[in-house]
Amino acid sequence: MLRFFKGFTLLFFLTSILYAEESKVRGLLELIMTSSGNEQKESLVELSNYSDPQIKTIVEAWRKGDVYSFTNNGESIVVQQTNSGFERIKDGEILIIEDQSSLKKNRPSRRIRKSLKKIVDTADLIALDPKVRKEAVLKLGLSQNLSYLEDLRRIFKNELDPSVQKVFRESIAICLLAHGSDQEKLSAIEELGILKSVTAINFIEKIVKNASESLSDISLEPLLKDKAEVAILKIKNHQSILDFFGNLFRGFSLGSVLLIVSFGLAITFGLMGIINMAHGEFIAIGGYSCYVVQNLFASWFGTHSVGFELYFLAAIPVSFVVACLFGFLLEKSFIRFLYKRPLESLLATWGVSMIMQQSFRLVFGAANVQVNTPDWLIKSADFYGVAMSYSRIFVVGFALMVILMTWLLLSKTHLGLHIRAVMQNRKMASSLGIPVSKVNAMTFAFGCGLASLAGCALSLIGNVGPSMGQAYLVDSFMVVVIGSVGNLLGAGISSFGIGIFDQYLQPVLGPVMGKITVFFIIILFLQWKPGGLFPTKSRSLED
Amino acid sequence: MNITMSVLKLTKQSSFIKKFLLASLFFAFPFMASASDKVKVGILHSLSGTMAISETSLRDVLLFTFDEINKNGGVLGKQIEPVVVDGASNWPLFAEKAEQLLAQDKVAATFGCWTSVSRKSVLPVYEKYNGLLFYPVQYEGEEMSPNIFYTAEAVNQQAIPAVDFLLDEGYKKFYLLGTDYVYPQTTNLVLLEYLLSKGISIENIGGGLRKDSDGNVISAGKYTPFSHTDYQQIVSEIKKFAASGDACVINTVNGDSNVSLFKEIAASGLTADDCPIVSYSLSEDEFRSLPAKDLVGHLGCWTYFMSLDTPENEKFMSDFQAWLKTAEVPGLVKEGRVTCSPMVLSYNGVYLWKKAVEKAGSFDVDKVTAALKDGIIHEGPGGRVISQRNHHLTKNVYIGEILEDGQFSILKSYNNVHGEPFLKGKF
Repeated sequence: MLRFFKGFTLLFFLTSILYAEESKVRGLLELIMTSSGNEQKESLVELSNYSDPQIKTIVEAWRKGDVYSFTNNGESIVVQQTNSGFERIKDGEILIIEDQSSLKKNRPSRRIRKSLKKIVDTADLIALDPKVRKEAVLKLGLSQNLSYLEDLRRIFKNELDPSVQKVFRESIAICLLAHGSDQEKLSAIEELGILKSVTAINFIEKIVKNASESLSDISLEPLLKDKAEVAILKIKNHQSILDFFGNLFRGFSLGSVLLIVSFGLAITFGLMGIINMAHGEFIAIGGYSCYVVQNLFASWFGTHSVGFELYFLAAIPVSFVVACLFGFLLEKSFIRFLYKRPLESLLATWGVSMIMQQSFRLVFGAANVQVNTPDWLIKSADFYGVAMSYSRIFVVGFALMVILMTWLLLSKTHLGLHIRAVMQNRKMASSLGIPVSKVNAMTFAFGCGLASLAGCALSLIGNVGPSMGQAYLVDSFMVVVIGSVGNLLGAGISSFGIGIFDQYLQPVLGPVMGKITVFFIIILFLQWKPGGLFPTKSRSLED
Repeated sequence: MNITMSVLKLTKQSSFIKKFLLASLFFAFPFMASASDKVKVGILHSLSGTMAISETSLRDVLLFTFDEINKNGGVLGKQIEPVVVDGASNWPLFAEKAEQLLAQDKVAATFGCWTSVSRKSVLPVYEKYNGLLFYPVQYEGEEMSPNIFYTAEAVNQQAIPAVDFLLDEGYKKFYLLGTDYVYPQTTNLVLLEYLLSKGISIENIGGGLRKDSDGNVISAGKYTPFSHTDYQQIVSEIKKFAASGDACVINTVNGDSNVSLFKEIAASGLTADDCPIVSYSLSEDEFRSLPAKDLVGHLGCWTYFMSLDTPENEKFMSDFQAWLKTAEVPGLVKEGRVTCSPMVLSYNGVYLWKKAVEKAGSFDVDKVTAALKDGIIHEGPGGRVISQRNHHLTKNVYIGEILEDGQFSILKSYNNVHGEPFLKGKF
């Protein structure tokens, strides 16, 4: 009973301390935001004694520009804009502000941000999210600051997560490279080799270069060099494995971009035989649809709400439908007269592409428009040292889903059966009672819809402007021709092939020579296999 | 008088031009009397094609400046009559249009060009006809034509102060990244020499070096083609490079590619606090079409920022906005306009020319150039500018940090920086 009581008081005591700490921290932050000069400096020094997680969230908001200040009866008040309204920094109270025009944006200066950064990083050492902990530990280690070494060693003892422990060991070793005794330096080098620390390689190289200065006992120099060599070799081996997988992922990611931009063309050019020069403009329709939906969501929900963050998901079907509609109209008005004249289709669609580009300029202006990547796609994941950004992962997944849906549509549905029949032999299909002109229009619209999905995906990683599609037109034709015209699987394999090839060549040859080399290899490949990867076997005399 | 003199000088050049000029003189005579209270001035910018986005703003600000001067009595009592020609982002066409301005319209001065390649292609034309061109956009230096006046930022008025600032902030590793053409390549070579002279070791300069067979560095940094979209590989390299925490990026990438670059940087988790990027080709005007969220906290360096708090800048901005409302110019965008360094340098150029003409008392190119060389002072929106003997300007340089509303907050200023075009081998 007594024990229980003790426990209870301890708990009560702790929460009250925590609560007191939080309000103290909030008070200090408000003081820092409103004061200047010495007062501000003192508050900063005082704040560095605390490691409350609240510091980070508020500082982050301040940095992002979500903090506003205004004066009320001579007292200056700072508030943070959150989903629930304006929260006063000092006590977290929600204030109702009627006259929002009196709010002035409050931003930290570069100097303040720097001092706050250290405080936030130390606070992060005990953050709940292991990823945040890892980053903070590594940052402190890399600074090679002696004052952090004690903090690191102390908190390391309480760390339970093995992956974070590893980063702790790495950071402590890096710190020791600069501040340890000779023996500590030698074992730190060994440790870093065992940990395969990629970040440490620069520090080890540096210590080898200045070996005579950094060692107090010169006779240890050959030993240090030997140990460093072994460690660097280990790290470099690990690095090359990482590079291999990194390139593979980047290759897949570039491949999925190529795939998604060319898949629409694989339908309109590959299956239907129209040399569709307006393909790029349908990509641009996708990008502009994203832009319009983003702006609509911003005006409906405000830019700080969960609703706004979901605009991208809504933009996908919207752009598909819009582009399908435009594609349908284009087929009905132009394309249907050109099925027997592929070369004229080249000129006609080129003209259409120029008309469309100019209309984008008239409607949206000549400059590119801003499409902001939603917050939930902005970070990156880390798989055993290979960084993959969420937006890229999203594009890869999106591309694979588009292939799957297209395959299902073409092979499992009634419409797909009609499409394949019409594409193989228009006259025969017509005589069997398939509504050929309707199927043609549907197919072309579908191809345009796919192109606009590409535009959505591209708005995550590139610019949205009137001529955005032009940059991808050549790539798209390249993919379709290599993968054999009329073969969707071929388009898939060729785009991933080109993407991976490009990413492995780039580190060696640089971006410019890398691209030239890829084109050169493609020319050689087409000399060897003129029909592409999967040439169609046909008995027709025309082919 | 002046016109006939220059015609006499030109008639020696070729029979074709002789006939052409005589013919135009013949046609011009009846209008001479009415034209004598006007002076023709050329505007040579791309109003169509890829560069139109940036260059149209310069045309607008030039027209505004001419109107402002005309309202206040013109130059030497003459009203400025602008002759606007379109270079159409086509470099040989720039040379043709320049020839048209000089031979046919006989402009007293021309304000124009954006890309270095367009300047290089009109340069022989201006030297041949002894014309006068004012060039307003930051450039790589290593050039000084007697017929061009460079109101632009020289490398030591943009690239070098920015590097100084970063060195002061304690950054020790520099990654050089640019678009593959003359401005980034030359600037980065100069920067390489400068960084080495400041004690930065060669392995701390990222992006790679290319050497010729004698071992001389001919290219420093990483280059991508125009409108490159895939920055994955480069960003992962920067991330590795910046792992030690004291690295920054010097960005001379031009145009659209910046969107892909900054989106990739933001996605990789690199923030401006970990590794700041200082961009030399991005000004307020370009931010209108970039995703602001991804740029916040990165740096810029120009000789003018819209956020400068001076009476001259206040007046310039409000006058320009007022002019936009009433002006009737085809294709003029009236909404959401901003001002940026190349625009202000164009504006300053016109006033320097006006003051030089008034000092020389004549529109003659040689006399005006001589007056400019003596040092003309003008209090512009970005602070005081003084023309120099070497055809460049002394001006203030500002370092700014990008805010989410597409403006810069000024971090540091360097006053009265002397423009120096020839920097290679100086450090």
